[in-house]
Amino acid sequence: MENIKIEATERSPELDLNFKMNSFRIKGESYPEDVTEFYGGVLKTLESYFEELEGQTVNFGFELIYFNSSSAKVLMSLFDMLEEAAEEGNTVNVEWVYVSDDDNMEELGEEFGEDLEAANFIMKPVE
Amino acid sequence: MGFDLFEKEVRIFERGKAILESGTIADEGAAKEFKKLHKAYAKLFKTTKRLVKMSDRNEEKLNKLAYSLDEKGNMLEQLSQKLAKYLSPQVYESIFSGAQDVSLTTKRKKLTVFFSDIKDFTQTTEDLQPEDLTSLLNMYFTEMSFIALKHGATIDKFIGDAMLMFFGDPKSRGVEEDARCCLRMAVEMQRRMENLKKIWLEQGYEKPFQMRIGINTGYCNVGNFGSEDRMDYTIIGGEVNLAARLESSCDPGGILMSYETYALVKDLVETEEREPIRVKGIRREVKPFSVLNVNDDSCAGEKVFRQSCDGFNFFLNQEKLSGQDREKVRLELMNALDSLGGGS
Repeated sequence: MENIKIEATERSPELDLNFKMNSFRIKGESYPEDVTEFYGGVLKTLESYFEELEGQTVNFGFELIYFNSSSAKVLMSLFDMLEEAAEEGNTVNVEWVYVSDDDNMEELGEEFGEDLEAANFIMKPVE
Repeated sequence: MGFDLFEKEVRIFERGKAILESGTIADEGAAKEFKKLHKAYAKLFKTTKRLVKMSDRNEEKLNKLAYSLDEKGNMLEQLSQKLAKYLSPQVYESIFSGAQDVSLTTKRKKLTVFFSDIKDFTQTTEDLQPEDLTSLLNMYFTEMSFIALKHGATIDKFIGDAMLMFFGDPKSRGVEEDARCCLRMAVEMQRRMENLKKIWLEQGYEKPFQMRIGINTGYCNVGNFGSEDRMDYTIIGGEVNLAARLESSCDPGGILMSYETYALVKDLVETEEREPIRVKGIRREVKPFSVLNVNDDSCAGEKVFRQSCDGFNFFLNQEKLSGQDREKVRLELMNALDSLGGGS
């Protein structure tokens, strides 16, 4: 599977999906004009990737500053995929990076993390 | 196949629908309950989709509003920064912090009032080209304002070539310290004028400005005067007039103060008592004291060196030199000294 690298814009985050290294990162702000268009292809690719994954270790980092409700739904879908991959026997490490004084992002991370049981979840405050 | 944000939910809904249509639930009661649940799920799903859409729209609007507020905020900040130049920083700060009401209210306070003007300014204006005069005057006011703000003066106004400032309002360090700050400021201004004189002569101005300063301490009315539509934060009263009167009696390049100020600063200065003067609005006879010398290290000013003779023209304004240039000048001077030899 080819790696995907999409640069951040004012309204969409940077996507760095390294399928060869099983390492993924979403970074920035997310309120694209059309959430379906921005995330659709990526989610489909990730879905196929997770379906084929067997006994691997996956690292997924979220470094978001702001996201809208539709993006939140996308994140929920992603968390579901990650949890399912972990349930299938893969080691899934999820890192939620947030600016230490951003209470909102901290709270959202905690809420998303609550749904993960099989996957490992780490909250990582940064300055 | 396109991507649906709610693909998973759609799949669950479709699966429920298929089960219902296939009639595979044998128990009639269970089938009825399943149908109810499926209907409730469909309703909940629709509501969720609507809420997400609505939330996105609201967030978009809020973001636009926040952006527009930021822009307006920046615009107001820039505007207030421009307006601030028309006010003394202390007055500006007290208004913008909310400590000062913008209404026609005044109070009586003991202030030290500073009044200055330029000797023979009218004559000078006639001798100079308007462009030169503007440049000279702006330089003079810029330099003096810098010193005034450094010492914490409230700059009331510039009246032609004159300056009215005071200490003790909106902020006061106590009547005595206010007077001492005012004196230190006046001394530094006159010292700076000495250096400016050299610079102006160097620039070709034949008759550089000479400043006269009058200082008085006393009770004044301070606050907003004028009309509800246009007001000035200023001071009025006999004590203000006395400062002006002292200034007009002052020697060029000198500082003349009343006994009331002298009593508060006498340990800082050597003075000479002058002939008493009378001022309209002040019943007492005023004893003026002219500043001869200052015994205060904090009044030290910067240095300008100027010397010229045949084959030698030297001008050094240390204040204008910074870091790298200072080192360059030092090296140049050392080279020049070397080239002069041992003095034989």
